[in-house]
Amino acid sequence: MKLANRAKYYFRKPHNVILVALAISLAFLTLLPLVSLIRDTFIVHPSEIMTVRGAKVNDVTLFHWKKVFLDGAKSFKLFYEPLWNTLEVSLFSSILAIILGGTFAWLVTRTNMRFKSFISVVFIFPYIMPSWTLAMAWLNFFRNSLIGGAPGLFTAITGVQTPNWFAYGLFPTSVVLGLHYSPFAYILIGGILRNMDANLEEAALILKSSRAKIIARINLPIIMPAILSTFLLVFSSTMSAFAVPVFLGTPVRFQVLTTQLYRTLNGLNPGYGYIMAVVMIVIGLSILAVNQWYLGKRKSFVTVTGKSSNFSLIRLKKFQIPVSALALLFVIAIAILPLVTFVIESFIMAPGNYSFSNLTTQFWVGPGREDIGGGEPGILLNKYLYMAFWNSLKLSGIVALVVGTIGGLAGYAIVRGRGTKLSSAVNNLAFFPYLLPSMAFGAIYLSMFAKPIGFIPSLYGTFFLLVLIGSVKYLPFASRAGINAMLQLSGEIEEAAVIMGIPWRKRITRILFPIQKSSFLSGYLLPFISCMRELALFVLLITPANRVLATLLLQYNEKGWNQYANGINLLIIIVVLLINLAINKITGASIDKGIGS
Amino acid sequence: MKKRGLFAVALLLCASLFQAFAEPSPELVSAAKKEGKVVVYSITSRIANAAKAFEAKYGIKVEAYDLKDGELIEKVSREVGSNIAGADFVICQDSGRVYGQLIAPGYLVNYVPDSMKSLIPAQYQNPLVFQFINKVFIFNSEKTQKPVISNVWELTEPKWKGLMQFKDPKLEGVNANFLTMITSPEWSDRLAKAYEDLYGKKLVLSTPNAGYEWIKRWFQNGLILGNSDTSISENIGIKGQKAQTLGLFVYSKTRYEAAKNLALLPMTDVKPFSGFMYPAFLQMTKNAKNKNAAKLFIEYLLSPEGFAPWSKDVGSYSSNPNVKIDPTDHPVSFWAPKLVFEDPQYLFENRADVEEFVNTLEN
Repeated sequence: MKLANRAKYYFRKPHNVILVALAISLAFLTLLPLVSLIRDTFIVHPSEIMTVRGAKVNDVTLFHWKKVFLDGAKSFKLFYEPLWNTLEVSLFSSILAIILGGTFAWLVTRTNMRFKSFISVVFIFPYIMPSWTLAMAWLNFFRNSLIGGAPGLFTAITGVQTPNWFAYGLFPTSVVLGLHYSPFAYILIGGILRNMDANLEEAALILKSSRAKIIARINLPIIMPAILSTFLLVFSSTMSAFAVPVFLGTPVRFQVLTTQLYRTLNGLNPGYGYIMAVVMIVIGLSILAVNQWYLGKRKSFVTVTGKSSNFSLIRLKKFQIPVSALALLFVIAIAILPLVTFVIESFIMAPGNYSFSNLTTQFWVGPGREDIGGGEPGILLNKYLYMAFWNSLKLSGIVALVVGTIGGLAGYAIVRGRGTKLSSAVNNLAFFPYLLPSMAFGAIYLSMFAKPIGFIPSLYGTFFLLVLIGSVKYLPFASRAGINAMLQLSGEIEEAAVIMGIPWRKRITRILFPIQKSSFLSGYLLPFISCMRELALFVLLITPANRVLATLLLQYNEKGWNQYANGINLLIIIVVLLINLAINKITGASIDKGIGS
Repeated sequence: MKKRGLFAVALLLCASLFQAFAEPSPELVSAAKKEGKVVVYSITSRIANAAKAFEAKYGIKVEAYDLKDGELIEKVSREVGSNIAGADFVICQDSGRVYGQLIAPGYLVNYVPDSMKSLIPAQYQNPLVFQFINKVFIFNSEKTQKPVISNVWELTEPKWKGLMQFKDPKLEGVNANFLTMITSPEWSDRLAKAYEDLYGKKLVLSTPNAGYEWIKRWFQNGLILGNSDTSISENIGIKGQKAQTLGLFVYSKTRYEAAKNLALLPMTDVKPFSGFMYPAFLQMTKNAKNKNAAKLFIEYLLSPEGFAPWSKDVGSYSSNPNVKIDPTDHPVSFWAPKLVFEDPQYLFENRADVEEFVNTLEN
């Protein structure tokens, strides 16, 4: 009786209801699939009856584990080399992202550089655009003919051949991913630089410390936690990158874990792929552990976030013009030039010929011709493009609504229940999907939902499954935004409403949400944009009828129909940028609020 | 002599008469129209234009999806396996996997239209072959119109280092099938003999047989693995290249020559093979929703009219002998002794080994 009363009392508080509901559903959606995935590494799949001699489908076997880890040179090529390549790419791109993002953050927040507002808007573009955008631009520019065929714009203009290592493989993959994620570093580090207590610097100035010393002894230590968490976030994001290595790696047989995962899952050995997924998850979890350990150790440092903002800007003096010009050129090169190459590439007929007479509108509005593509009409006349476009919009819209709402509620419940075990468990569960590499996550859902479980029918091939995985995967963005929004709100505001007897629903919709509108809305915006350009997460789960723009683009690229691919890419970017801009203008929500927390 | 000619004319006349009657039955047409829609997964992109013509002729909506061969097999096995509505029929390739993963478990159903039963050679009827496709050694013909090699072992010589392209066998099953087939006793013997003919000495093996040996030396001679036959055809065919290049890719890609300003010529007399040829199958799915529309479309695709998007160019050979072949091309009987064909049983048993072998080859 007493227990029942306590339970009743416990559940009278809305945040407890939310926490319990979230704990159960997230455990089902993120932990249970892990079990299913591990089981998949031990059984024989239909396409493996060719490989595993004499076995029947669903037999238990250690075959995959042996092949992946213990088969000498074969394991080396299959697994160890791609693993090594993955780690290298992740390391190099994280470092690059931090250096670039950090430099720009410093220039924008602490110096009197010109064009600040333009640069700070455009610098974020590479993150808003799909990650393969820069990879495609790289190819458009630096494609060489050592590998055969049409040279890129760079060679066409200068006549200089780019070497193979520069055009394909480790180097361009790392650079492109580094550029794509440098806005991460920019936002995280910039946020801290902006809010940093200026008194420390002023004290140092009064004591006549040199600028170099101030940077080394004050600024760097303060932003160290941000640098570290950027490093860890970028590292785990690049580890799960798929499109960029596909575009830049295959010409020189440069393999990473995600590309091996995709091939094995679609080829003869899905078992290998499931093991690689497990490995990637283990790496992701270790990264989280390191992060937690470090933040736990340095807790006292993060508290330096006073609001004093009247620090003095560093005067660049005679460097002001060159630095501003360089920064401007740089953001134009990484954010605007790629778009120009897409436009050009989508209008040329014979590859590698950039003369005016070679321009054609065939790939935009031409009828299907077998002597060019496979008889597919131009992009704007292609009904499958409109289908994919609609699917992309629908999927991103629904996911954003679901994630934004649940993330907001999660933020509310986690903050209100702060200090309880359940609250921190839900907090971690809601962040956990961030660490699951997208491709591996897709693989898990594929293996788990391809058959009925309990009362849930097989979800494979349904639109619902795409919504489900998108919602779980992007929950971390929204829950972070929600938590931050709630942390900034004093609890007294809601308490006052409680005393007035205002029901919970009204408290949320009439008081809390309006006050922190832009933060909460960021929780809707970021999932929408991420979803619009997501490839790795959906590529294994998509059936032809619910194809989205990103998978359509991959398909055209795989066929070598460059012009179509460039055209579709341009469409995706324009839509994403427009929506981002519109929401930003109307509501004040912006993606930097989502990541920069 | 004259009599014989007359007989032939009579035979042709008969055949064309028969052709005139070989229309789908009115019952099938009306049943198909009632369904109003059909979904097809296909490994050939030209299905898009066939679909458009079919829609125009019968007013039946077509959803045609173009997939890679392995992807198609995975999707169909999952969709039919869990009874999810997907394709009504498929055009698929990669015989080893199609037999083992789709036909053996009963996911695909063979359907031969009545009008085709007496036309299509019996050995192509189960599973029903839609067309044959060939990939041959094709060279850049800007500087020379003469074949640039006469023996495949020449491709393992330093002279060709870094100048050859082939689609990554991990990306397309039929390419892996070709590599697997040349490790068979029959082809490895012929490869060993070709080596002796060229160099006048016996081949010294570092691998199980001459087939493996050739694969190893070819791959290690700077073979560039491409993403798609389309981009390979551009890479090889583009004009103004300093070095002589060649590739092993789909013959039908030479259709891009004019529009994209390429220079491409096939070689038909390379010892012991000039390339390979493989069937694409036309099969209904077990859980097809629009059965009649699927049957009608299948029948249409087998007719000369339905095959038009493919027969316009070289490199596609319908299983229906009444479909005319491009005048500059040769019939399957011409290619048969020159190309490597698929043997589903051998592929099923050996493909995994060969794939693994290829995967360990260093550049």
